Formats: sequence, C-alpha cells, structure tokens
Amino acid sequence: MAIFLAKRFTMMLLTMIAASFLVFAVCEFTPGSVARKSLGPFATQEVDLLTRKLKANDPLLVRYGRWAGVLLGVIPDPLQDPDTGLNFKDSRGAQYFGNFGYSTLNKLPVNDVIWDRLGNTAILGGLAFLLIVPLSIIFGIFSGLKEGGVLDRVLSIVSITFTSIPEFASGVFLVTLFVILWPVLPGTSPLDTGSGWSIPSQLVLPVAVLVIYDFGYVARMIRVSMIGVMEKPYIRTAVLKGMTTRQVVLGHALRNAMIAPFTVLLLQINFLISGVVVTELVFAYPGFGRLLLDASLFGDIATIEAATLITVAIAVVTQFIGDIGYMLLDPRIRLR
Amino acid sequence: MDKKSHPYIPTLLGQLNEGAISRRDFLRRSTLLGMSATAAYAMAGMVDPSTSAKAENLPKGGNLRIGMRCMEIKDPHLADFAEKSNVVRQVCEYLTITDRNNITHPYLLEKWDVSDDLKTWTLHIRKDVKWRKGRSLTADDVIWNLKRVCDPKVGSSMLGLFTGYLVEEFATGEKDDKGNPKKSSRLWSEKAIEKVDDHTVRLNTSSPQIAVAEHLFHYPMFILDPEENGSFGAGANGTGPFEIVEYTVGKGAKYKARTDYWGDGPYVDTFEFVDLGDSPGAGIAAMASKQVDGLSEADAVQINSMKSFPHVAVYKVETTQTIVARMHPDVDQFKDKRVRQAMRHAIDRDKVIQTVLLGAGTPAEDHHVAPSHPEYAALPKYGRDIDKAKKLLADAGFPDGFEYDMVTRPDPIWELNTAQALAEQFKDIGIKVNIKSLPSAQYWEVWTDAPFSLTAWGHRPLAIMTLGLAYRSNAAWNESHFSNAEFDTLLTQAEGILDPKERSKVMAKIETIMQDEGPIVQPFWRIFSTVMDKKVKGFDLHPSQYIFAHNYAVAMA
Repeated sequence: MAIFLAKRFTMMLLTMIAASFLVFAVCEFTPGSVARKSLGPFATQEVDLLTRKLKANDPLLVRYGRWAGVLLGVIPDPLQDPDTGLNFKDSRGAQYFGNFGYSTLNKLPVNDVIWDRLGNTAILGGLAFLLIVPLSIIFGIFSGLKEGGVLDRVLSIVSITFTSIPEFASGVFLVTLFVILWPVLPGTSPLDTGSGWSIPSQLVLPVAVLVIYDFGYVARMIRVSMIGVMEKPYIRTAVLKGMTTRQVVLGHALRNAMIAPFTVLLLQINFLISGVVVTELVFAYPGFGRLLLDASLFGDIATIEAATLITVAIAVVTQFIGDIGYMLLDPRIRLR
Repeated sequence: MDKKSHPYIPTLLGQLNEGAISRRDFLRRSTLLGMSATAAYAMAGMVDPSTSAKAENLPKGGNLRIGMRCMEIKDPHLADFAEKSNVVRQVCEYLTITDRNNITHPYLLEKWDVSDDLKTWTLHIRKDVKWRKGRSLTADDVIWNLKRVCDPKVGSSMLGLFTGYLVEEFATGEKDDKGNPKKSSRLWSEKAIEKVDDHTVRLNTSSPQIAVAEHLFHYPMFILDPEENGSFGAGANGTGPFEIVEYTVGKGAKYKARTDYWGDGPYVDTFEFVDLGDSPGAGIAAMASKQVDGLSEADAVQINSMKSFPHVAVYKVETTQTIVARMHPDVDQFKDKRVRQAMRHAIDRDKVIQTVLLGAGTPAEDHHVAPSHPEYAALPKYGRDIDKAKKLLADAGFPDGFEYDMVTRPDPIWELNTAQALAEQFKDIGIKVNIKSLPSAQYWEVWTDAPFSLTAWGHRPLAIMTLGLAYRSNAAWNESHFSNAEFDTLLTQAEGILDPKERSKVMAKIETIMQDEGPIVQPFWRIFSTVMDKKVKGFDLHPSQYIFAHNYAVAMA
C-alpha cells in the first residue's frame, strides 16, 4: 500500500517536471523571443538590448533552469531587474517560491491575477460538478438497467441531445429564454452585485450550460459500464435468489459499474477548470478559462506557462486521487 | 455688439445675412474666435440649446452603470482611445469643450481672446475651480500640462496637433542606425506658452492657427495635477465631478460624486464602468437583464436585437467617425503609389456600408475630410473600377497581385466585419489579404507599428485636426508612416485660414494629394449609435463617443 502510494507520488512529481519542461519549451519555440513579447511585436531597437540583458540567447536547457529557479524562488526574476527598464514591480519581491513572473497582458505579477480567476472558475466548475455527478449517475444507472427499454431510449435521447449542443448555442438559448422572454435571471455574470442581481443568481446560467453540455457524456459512460455489469453471472444469481432490483443495484452492481466511469468523472474536473472558455466568454465571467484565452491570444507567456502548469498540476492530482479511488473500488489493484 | 469681440465677427455676420454661410457655420466660427456661445446664438437669431434645455429638475442620487471596455491607462496624456479617455474624463477636465453640435465652449476656461492675426491666444482660467485635494486651479497647473504634452519624451498625440504653431521640429545632429539625421521637437520659442498672471495663460504661436480651442478638447489634453506627474489610478486628483475609487483593467471603474464640484452636477451619487469583454452578445444580455444602464457604444447589429426591449432607448448621431485601411509606404508591396491607388479603386463603398453597417453610414473619398467638415472641398467622384485597379497593379510590378497580412481587432465587431468586406473586394484585383485579428488589448499596443492595418478614427469637428493628428510627418499617431513635405506645408497653411471658403481651396490640394499618393483606403463615415435604459435622464450622445457622467441622472422607479 505504502509502496504503491510512494510510486504514484514519484510518478506525479516526474510528470510535473516533464510537463513544466514541455510547456516552457513550447512557449519558447513559438515565433518571437521573450524580449520581443515583453516589448510588443513591433518594437525596434530595444529588443536586441533586452535580449542581451535577459540572456535570452542562452541554450534552452539553461533558460529552462533559470525559469525553474525563478519559479522555485532560488534566483530573482530577471524581468524585474530595474536595468531592463520594463518597470515590472512585484510587491512580494523578485525572489520567492511560486514566482510565476510578470503578466505582460495585465501589467501585474501573474500571482496577482491568476488565483482570483482560478477561484472563480473553481466555484463555477465545483457547482457544475456537484450537479453532474448525481445527474449522470442516475441517468446512467436507469438507462443501463434495461438496455433498449423505453426508459433507456428516452434517457439516451436526452443525454445525447444535450451533449451535442455546443456551449455557445445553449448559452444563447438559455439567455433568450430566461433573460429576454422570461426575465428571471441576469444575462451576464461579472460576479459583482452592483447591478442588483445576487451572485448565486449570476451563477445559475453558466452552471446550467456546463451541466447540460457535460452530464450526458458521463451518463453514457456509466450506462455502458452498467450494461456490462448487469450481464454478469453474479447479478443473474442475485436476481434468481429473489433480491429486489434496488438491492441488486445498490448492493452488487453499482460498485463494479462505477470503476471505469470513476476515471471519466475525475477527468471532468480538468475539463471544468480549463475547458470553460466558451461559457466564460458568453457570460463575461471573470474566470480562469478567459484568462488563459486572453493570455494565449496576447502572447502573455508568463501567464500561459503558469496557467498550463496549474492545469497540469490539477490533472496530476486528480489522477492521483483517481488511482486511490480505483484502489478502494477494485481490490485487485492493491495486489499489483 | 460686444466691443471686445474679434474684428472678423462682423464679416461673419455679413456672410450669414447674405446666406453665404449657414447658421451652424456662423456659430462654429464665431465661438472659435472667443465669442460666447450664448452671444453667438443670439446674434444668429437662435436660442442656445444648452441654456433652454438645461435640466434643473433632473432627479438626484442613485447609481449609474455603463458597459465599456476598460484597458490599461499608462498616462492620461497618452490616451489613444475614447474608452481610455472616458475613464479619466470623470476625474480630470479639459480647458474647452466641443458640444454635440460641434460648437466649442469654454470649460475650465472662463473665456479666451484671439488676436486679429490669429497668433496670440489668451486663455482666462476660471477662478472658482478647486482640485479635489483642496488647492485652486492655477495658471501654473495649466502651463505644466501644456508643456508636458509638447515634450517628445512623453509621446502625447497632442504633439502632432501643436506642431506647426507651438512646436517645431529640429535636427538633433545625431544620426540613426540608417544614417538619417535624427529629428526631435521642441517649443518654437521660450515664450510660446507664457504666464500672464495666476489665472491667465497666453499662447504665442509661430503661425496663425484657428483650431486652438478645439485642440484643447482633444482627448488626451486633460489638465492633470502636476504633483502626480502623469500617473493615474484610484484616488487620482482632478478638478472633475467624480473621485475614482477603484480601477481594474478588464473589470471596471468605480466613482464617487464630489460634493464640492464647481460646475453643474453630478446628479448620481456613484458611477461605474463595467467591462463586458470582447463578446458582443454580452452587452445585449447585460442590457436585457438591466445589469448595466447603458453601453458606451452599440453597433447596428446589437441595436437591431435590442430595439424590441421596452426599457431601452436608442441614440444615434452623425459623425466624422471612420475607419481606414492604411498602408506603410516604406513596405515593398505598398512602396509604389499605384498600388495604393489600385487598392482605392478596388472598393465598392455602398456595398461595404450595406453589409457592415446595415446602411448606417455614408461613402468616404479616401482623404479623411468629411462632407460635414466646414473645410470640405468636393473633388470629382470615382467609384469601383476593377480594370483600372488591375492595370495600376500591373504597372507597379504586381501583375498577379500579392498576399499580405492585415492587422485588426474583433471588438467592436463592425471593425472586423469591415476588414472581411474589404478583404473580399481586394481579392477581385488579385490582392489576397489575410486578416490577423488581435485581441483589442494587443491591437492597441501595436496599432501605430503594423505595416498594414485597419484603424477606426474618432470624430473631430475640423478636418485639419484629424489630418494633423494622423498624417503630419512627426505626429505620434501617424500610424500610416505617411510623410510628405508638401502635405505638411499645406496643412500648416490651412490651419491659419479662418474663412472656410478660402481654407477649402487649400484643402482641395490636400485632398488631391491624399487621393493621388495617400496611404489610406477609407470606405465610409459612420453613424454612431448606442443604447441607454430609459430611466437614464440627461443623456446626449456625443459624436466623439465621450461620456460625461456628471450630466446624466437616473430616474428612480
């Protein structure tokens, strides 16, 4: 057990290091140098000067080492050196653990921008997740119980239809319905109460869009798994023994049916953190997805690197949790 | 008649009576010369709308929220978009104000006097204006601001406007990388900006200039507190009606009304700008659910979907607002003026107006002088001519056309739509335009440097203002890198001619230069529109897109 966890933990660290290198390399290989991106695409003489000051022509590995050093707080951030003339200031100083550098888009340290946005998206994604889990489990179980039955047909049609509506379409549809035709909800979600709409009311529509888009997909996964389990001999035995459907499902089928969809469910966390761009754009929601989109379009490398690293970290951690959950659900894994 | 009024006023009055100029022209020109608007209106036999419609009975109190993009403000004197200046405008003020009828009034000034030769401008500053932090506004404050925008190190767009009469160019003696002599700018004389007493400043210009009062209303020309040295943010000092309490890029701005404001208003207790992002649908949705009381701008498509909302009022105003596709003449593809001419002949203006603006515009003629400008000179019209354009291209050495990237931005959406409509039409003469749509924030950083881009230009009451801002060789906003000595000389000449008939003769030459070798393709003049909740009172859509929140009130339900 302990060995299993230790192994997993080491894997997690290695993944993070590998991912951080990849993220760094990809960002560095995009057209234009760091100096150019700090000064804007059409600045002239200053670029060479800054390139020299930042030692941006060093080999990739050296630069990666320097970047990782800044991130870990081993060395100060060269961009904040007053000599560069960039006038980048960070109230935490130039050297501390978790220094993601300076956002050229927002003209603020990345740390001043990113956590609020991540928090906002966590609220949005968290609420959606809380609804997606029970909804998809209920839909999945009921349609998987009797493959091809009327209930299965109906639930399947609902799930497939909802999943195939893109987020921007359902967003516009819901706004037309609940904002314009029947005005009970606010049309945008800037997360401030100055307009008289409460924060919870502002969350309803974006959460609804995410749930509508996502739950059907997970429900389909659970359905397939449920069908597989329901055909197993031990279920037939249980039914023949005279157990009620309820007892069979809760006592025998559910645990086994959830093993595979469990991973799928955890993957939704990643989707809900980094895949909410469209929803956030439609509702002017100040979240992580929109920050990442703006940063990518703008070429704000420090923010992209930070956001990607955080996304990777979330993915790795959910995977770790997934492994533990898997282990608890399926005793065979513990023996490997 | 007022004895102290400018000696040209009787001539103007004569022209008005003969029917040689319109009432509006009379008002415009007599107020430029320092006559008060009230007196000018009286002389023209009209009632001054600003006094008759003065809304003493506007409701007081409440909060007002307007949706608008909120971007980084490095320095108010560098403001280069109306949105940026709108954020500052509630806090800091101008010396003059040009109203929605293009008539210029004193603002922080009590009045101004002009000498007969249009070379000495005496600005009398109001004595009752107090900075929010307590001090009185003085001549020294004003002089500091005027001198600061003339400093090339600051890089304000005012430099382009002031060049030729307050500022001169000179060779520094150094050479740049290519061996060309470096140029810089400075005040033309020690006495160019002169302090007369604590509340009087005199501008001594090197050549006659009629548009001084209007230049002082150009949007970076804020009067800032010298102690803050060009910084701006929450708590910034100002003489204006509001105190700014919060400003977050991409999120919004919050203001609190001053109780000791020298002018009328403000009527609301608090005011806010809310940033709704780049998605045009978000503005509609926010209006629908009354999350904002208005938008700083709503385009024809947005208005179409909002006009059925019972609580929404639509405002429209004709402007000299426009968009230009401009080419850097120092780029290989655009070096030959025949290429630029071909681009102009490739465009079907009416079609662009229909597709992009749903008809809310009028065709333009590629010289950035609007028919509504007093100095406009009508040149022979020309339409779309594909064969001629192709021949010009072939003569210039591009028989098969070429491919080029055009930089633009997605918000407001009509700008991107214009880019697409133009690109579609350029295709017909063999020029393939790839649209590079940058997010607004990034576009604003590069707009003067991209070799080929599409830029929206705001409303200006006089054509000489826009031309001075955008096409004079040393102008900070010379985004097209256009440089033509003859053009510069003619422009300076035009700026000194008071009589618009005479000025339009010079203007005809300028317009011809622009059509012959100018750097722009200009498809249309735009009708500007926006929406406000019907409960917003006292709102008047300004053609310059300026928001003056202290004039607006909110009716309580």
